[in-house]
Amino acid sequence: MAALAISSCGRRALLVDDNVINRMVVRKLVEEQGIALEEAENGKEAVELVKEGRVFDLILMDREMPVMDGPQATKQLRSLGVTTPIVALSADAMQSDKDSFLQAGADDFVEKPLSVDKFALVLTKYGLQDGQAADQ
Amino acid sequence: MEIGNLQRRYLDFASTLFHEGFLDNQFTQLQQLQDESSPEFVLEVVTLFFEDSEKLLDELSRTLNQQAVDFKKVDAHVHQLKGSSASIGAQRVKNVCVAFRNCCEEMNQEGCLRCLRQVRNEYFLVKNKLETLFALEQQIVAAGGSVPMMW
Repeated sequence: MAALAISSCGRRALLVDDNVINRMVVRKLVEEQGIALEEAENGKEAVELVKEGRVFDLILMDREMPVMDGPQATKQLRSLGVTTPIVALSADAMQSDKDSFLQAGADDFVEKPLSVDKFALVLTKYGLQDGQAADQ
Repeated sequence: MEIGNLQRRYLDFASTLFHEGFLDNQFTQLQQLQDESSPEFVLEVVTLFFEDSEKLLDELSRTLNQQAVDFKKVDAHVHQLKGSSASIGAQRVKNVCVAFRNCCEEMNQEGCLRCLRQVRNEYFLVKNKLETLFALEQQIVAAGGSVPMMW
């Protein structure tokens, strides 16, 4: 499943999360920033989207998902040559889980649930705040 | 009832929900995301949470009452419930889910059944509280007032 919201500012994000309510909340957060969002329900769908040629400025990747989890998907995306910032999202993760996600190739780890402030920090860190969008 | 009284009642009630731990700051985040372009955003998310949670609770009950319990399946459902409750700020539900996952990891059927009772109890409590909160909002709007901000 991939839902695309079109915006005019050129920034594109991919949200990978199996929870429909999480996706609804993050969708609103992302759209508030005028960022186009695609969604995948698990890591396998995310990898398929990239194989189809989709390019993103930011990937928000949940950790625990059926079919293919976040660290696995991240590893596969990196092996495909994807250099897009991947921000791992998880709640109550142990340090070892965080470490393995980062070792898989994630750039950052943010505790869920994602808030307005946390998301703003992510956007600033990766140069994606309105007016500072990275060139692709 | 006069608008001012309704608004005060609303703020007092909302305040107790946070004070008693039913809701946490994530709920305030949802309210901050609500705007003219999505004036019913909080109601929509919470309604979906109600629908999704009740399906999960029924499924948990069914799975835990089988002869041979599939604890992986139970854990997967609890993980979903934990995630959604955290996303809407239903703190007490989320906290029970944390304990519930520990019981799943220990493959403790009795412990899981106890957690299921607790999480069901907490879920219906917060559902009742949120429905009351939304009803108060509707009363304020129907009286011609605006819903006061909690932050």
